[in-house]
Amino acid sequence: MIQPQTYLNVADNSGARELMCIRIIGASNRRYAHIGDVIVAVIKEAIPNTPLERSEVIRAVIVRTCKELKRNNGTIIRYDDNAAVVIDQEGNPKGTRVFGAIPRELRQLNFTKIVSLAPEVL
Amino acid sequence: MLASLRSRCSSLPSHFTSPPLPSLLDQSWKLGFPASSRLFASSPSFSSAAGSYEVLTVPEVEKILADVKADNVIVIPTQNQCCWADFTIIATGRSDWHLKNIAQALIYRAKQKQIGAKHVKLPSVQGYNSKWIVIDYGKFVVHALDEKARVYFNLESLWTAEASTNDNSDKDLQKAFVKVRPINNSKKKPAKVSS
Repeated sequence: MIQPQTYLNVADNSGARELMCIRIIGASNRRYAHIGDVIVAVIKEAIPNTPLERSEVIRAVIVRTCKELKRNNGTIIRYDDNAAVVIDQEGNPKGTRVFGAIPRELRQLNFTKIVSLAPEVL
Repeated sequence: MLASLRSRCSSLPSHFTSPPLPSLLDQSWKLGFPASSRLFASSPSFSSAAGSYEVLTVPEVEKILADVKADNVIVIPTQNQCCWADFTIIATGRSDWHLKNIAQALIYRAKQKQIGAKHVKLPSVQGYNSKWIVIDYGKFVVHALDEKARVYFNLESLWTAEASTNDNSDKDLQKAFVKVRPINNSKKKPAKVSS
């Protein structure tokens, strides 16, 4: 459950460290974003000397949420943190590697690029 | 819950595919079917699809990529590394148009093959207007990249070098699962004193 003002970790090596969600892309006046949703976010903290800077507005895909993700077979997946991967307008990831476990739902939501960069797919 | 799922997920493919892997490497992907049928039988969805009509196979895709003159085609078997795709195919295109043509050729061939079928299965194409097009056939994934994007993302190194690190993390996970009963010191000590 990501809403505007939520802080998220960054799960890639794009150079951003922390994001704040400012808008959820999809329907108008949408309240919460879940895994696989695209959000507009602002970079709150960035690693020095990287292409991304603090207070830059970017798009990101949510890859992990503390709110549990339910599957049809009854499995529930819940992560320790809220994390997102920085993407550009076309959906290509900005970084070259993704860290941590990624749910396979992202592949159905047309983010195979992120899944293929991830070390572990749940 | 999460960790158990992960360990199950990682243990499954390695369990199934460890025997046929060396033989397949020797054949260098000519796909002699008697040997590989066992491999595909491990995945029920693919074998059922192969029974009636199959969306393209790996050698067919290689041939298409050769026909459209994609450069530097690499096929990486990834059954034991990840549980979501058996093969990763990486190809380079010379320009944006060339990349689009590669994607279109792959879709066109899949359509041609399934003419007359009740349900036509098409691969999903992502990033059609960008430097990195992914054509996802389910059991294998074709990445068509611009030259610069290919150097930038360096997918080959990710998929070829990852085998060892992935296994280690699984071992750590399984170790973490072992339940160690804490020693209860409070009850033992008084007994020793009394004896």
